[in-house]
Amino acid sequence: MPGFDFSNHTRNAALHARGVPLPKATSTGTTIVGCIFDGGVVNCEKLHYIAPQIWCAGAGTAADTEFTTALISSELELHSLSTGRKPRVVTCMTMLKQHLFRYQGHIGAYLVVAGVDPTGVGLFTVHAHGSTDKLPYVTMGSGSLAAMSVFETQWKSKMTEQEAVTLASNAIQAGIFNDLGSGSNVDVAIITKDKTTLKRGYVKPNERSKKQKSYVFKRGTTAVLNEKIITKEEISKYVTVHELGSGEATVGEKMDIDV
Amino acid sequence: MNHLPQAWGRPRDDVYGPYDSSYLQSNQSHGPTQHTQSPVVTGTSVIALKFKDGVVIAADNLASYGSLARFTDVKRLRKFAGTSIVGFGGDVSDMQYLDRLLNSLDIEEAYSTAGHTLNAKNLHTFLSKVLYKRRTDFNPLWNQVLVAGLDDDSKPFLASADLLGTTFSAPSLATGFGAHLAQPLLRKVAGDEEAAAKLTKEQAIEAVKESMKVLFYRDARSLDKYSIAVITKDGIELKEDEKLENQSWAFADQIRGYGTQIN
Amino acid sequence: MAAMFSQNPLMNGPNYSFNQAPSTSSGGNKEHAFYPYTDNGGSTLAISGSDFTIIAGDTRSTSGYSINTRFQPKVFKIGGTTSAQDDATLVLSVVGFAADGEALKERLDTIVKMYRYQHGKPMSVKACAQRLSTILYGKRFFPYYVTAILGGLDEEGKGAIYSYDPVGSYEREQCRAAGAAASLIMPFLDNQVNFKNQYMPGSGVGHELQEREKIPLKINEVEDLVKDAFDSAVERHIEVGDGLQMFVITKSGIEVIYKALKKD
Repeated sequence: MPGFDFSNHTRNAALHARGVPLPKATSTGTTIVGCIFDGGVVNCEKLHYIAPQIWCAGAGTAADTEFTTALISSELELHSLSTGRKPRVVTCMTMLKQHLFRYQGHIGAYLVVAGVDPTGVGLFTVHAHGSTDKLPYVTMGSGSLAAMSVFETQWKSKMTEQEAVTLASNAIQAGIFNDLGSGSNVDVAIITKDKTTLKRGYVKPNERSKKQKSYVFKRGTTAVLNEKIITKEEISKYVTVHELGSGEATVGEKMDIDV
Repeated sequence: MNHLPQAWGRPRDDVYGPYDSSYLQSNQSHGPTQHTQSPVVTGTSVIALKFKDGVVIAADNLASYGSLARFTDVKRLRKFAGTSIVGFGGDVSDMQYLDRLLNSLDIEEAYSTAGHTLNAKNLHTFLSKVLYKRRTDFNPLWNQVLVAGLDDDSKPFLASADLLGTTFSAPSLATGFGAHLAQPLLRKVAGDEEAAAKLTKEQAIEAVKESMKVLFYRDARSLDKYSIAVITKDGIELKEDEKLENQSWAFADQIRGYGTQIN
Repeated sequence: MAAMFSQNPLMNGPNYSFNQAPSTSSGGNKEHAFYPYTDNGGSTLAISGSDFTIIAGDTRSTSGYSINTRFQPKVFKIGGTTSAQDDATLVLSVVGFAADGEALKERLDTIVKMYRYQHGKPMSVKACAQRLSTILYGKRFFPYYVTAILGGLDEEGKGAIYSYDPVGSYEREQCRAAGAAASLIMPFLDNQVNFKNQYMPGSGVGHELQEREKIPLKINEVEDLVKDAFDSAVERHIEVGDGLQMFVITKSGIEVIYKALKKD
């Protein structure tokens, strides 16, 4: 069965009626923005991949933004394969709004869709209830007012790529410093018809200061009441043991995207 | 025979029948004293910014009745004793009550033998105590006010007080929607007291006017007619019939629908 | 045992681990009444030493997701003879609803000042602590919505800290964190001030292991500890930040130290 499983709905409704509270989903306090410049579009913070030239910034219920963008990304790729054309931003936006409208706001995804396709540059917002908006600059999330105030005072038509990136970054920073829900760093996606550039940590204005003291504990500080040693030979009776090569380079922090 | 103290000295029910209280109107049937529990006619944001020798403060001239733009010529900045300005956000009737209260305070102080005038700091203390007392009585005055002027050392003074009696002070302040839309812009020009102490009067006015413009763009309960005041040690310049200038609608010609529409 | 599977999940049936009583009464229209409290966020922290006390608080004031101001002190000198409080000997920190905090501070300050005028000597921390408790309990059914910490030096010159709940229950302690990030800071303090869960390596086996010896911390160590505690709280609690005020109380007076915290 595709889609959501509602088999627990009646039980949960009964529990809720008796006063059992609903489990809380993680909500992303966020500032997300998008801004068009000549020949492309920039998109900031909490980015999700849709297609090579289409990216989504998500606010609202974290799981909903994650799964909705993944679903639409998949459908859009199949659509693109069956039509033999590159995916379009309007198609993505329409699929998102139709999906979200069907769920009447219960899927709490608030998205900024940005991309470049053969028809040109596209920049939209999609609300959880399915309404969309099309503007040269958009903001969403708890820091959207702070970010919008920057756009409303500094935006101009016909900007260069660098101007647009700086403006969008300033808008995000207004969210970072004035909205408690928004995080500390700025991520940017710059999309042009030729390529997409992702810059995670484009600005990091909030590095943690150095600790005053050292908090290294002497070995043996923690009490051990008893210990049991299980040897490799013993454990291999129950599970398969693989030797890992030592001294492998650890993987650094990766871009937080769902590819 | 009723021996309960409540019945002492009253006509006896068994002789005269129970007291007919039907003519008594609401109070008996509606229980304890009712207070204002929500604002009715309201003013939106007040914004203010300190600069090196004073404070700039502004508020638009609209009083809304819900989503209706009901009164479009309401002055929400009030002079006090030629030393300070109070900017009112929230309920307009409560604003007018406070206005009357401040009038009597002003007269009382002018006739007193102390021989001093109240500065903005004194005024803010007074207003915050009034607001805190009223919230403690569960009878709040539904306002957030900004008080702008000078303190005891003739330094720029700016502070806020609200219906709960919460008070705070900062180089820039904004109430209501302004706290979300204008404050980020004002903090950019004056992030701390040092930055504010370097601002000129012209820079401060410019920043406040720019913020009023953004509020008009994005606050649906706002107006392009506003009042603005500059308070320095030389006195108060209050202008109550300003109009927003140089609005930018450059983005408008690019808008085509909300989704798939093209031309 | 049968009760475990009763039809009432609230009382004794199987429950969610995060279950709580119903927050809404079912049925009927709800009227939104005036609520006389708000939470202005922030955190405070106090540590006492052998001959000093440090009380610290961040300076951010919040409402919802907005910052009211980046500088509103939560720590105050109490009972000096002037408005500048230069000769004060006591320090009070209040965190919670700032308007109540302000009102409480003013009341306590007035009382301690009156005591000083009438007796010709400053009030002891012990006496002031008892008085503060009485003030808080006086509003038992309309409480001051604050967590207070009172600090100073006791009659022997040792650091003294008294911590309170909103209705006046109080206790003298070695250290205490209060406010929004109390649950983040307090375990750190237990471990670093009272050396909880720390044992001396190799001092025994199992239950014979000896606890790490409690050595009173030096003043500069405590200052570092406070800064680190707040830097960490800022990382993980949105309502804490902007600035840190440390009031250092020694026999030579009260020194106020300001340090910047992150503003995001």
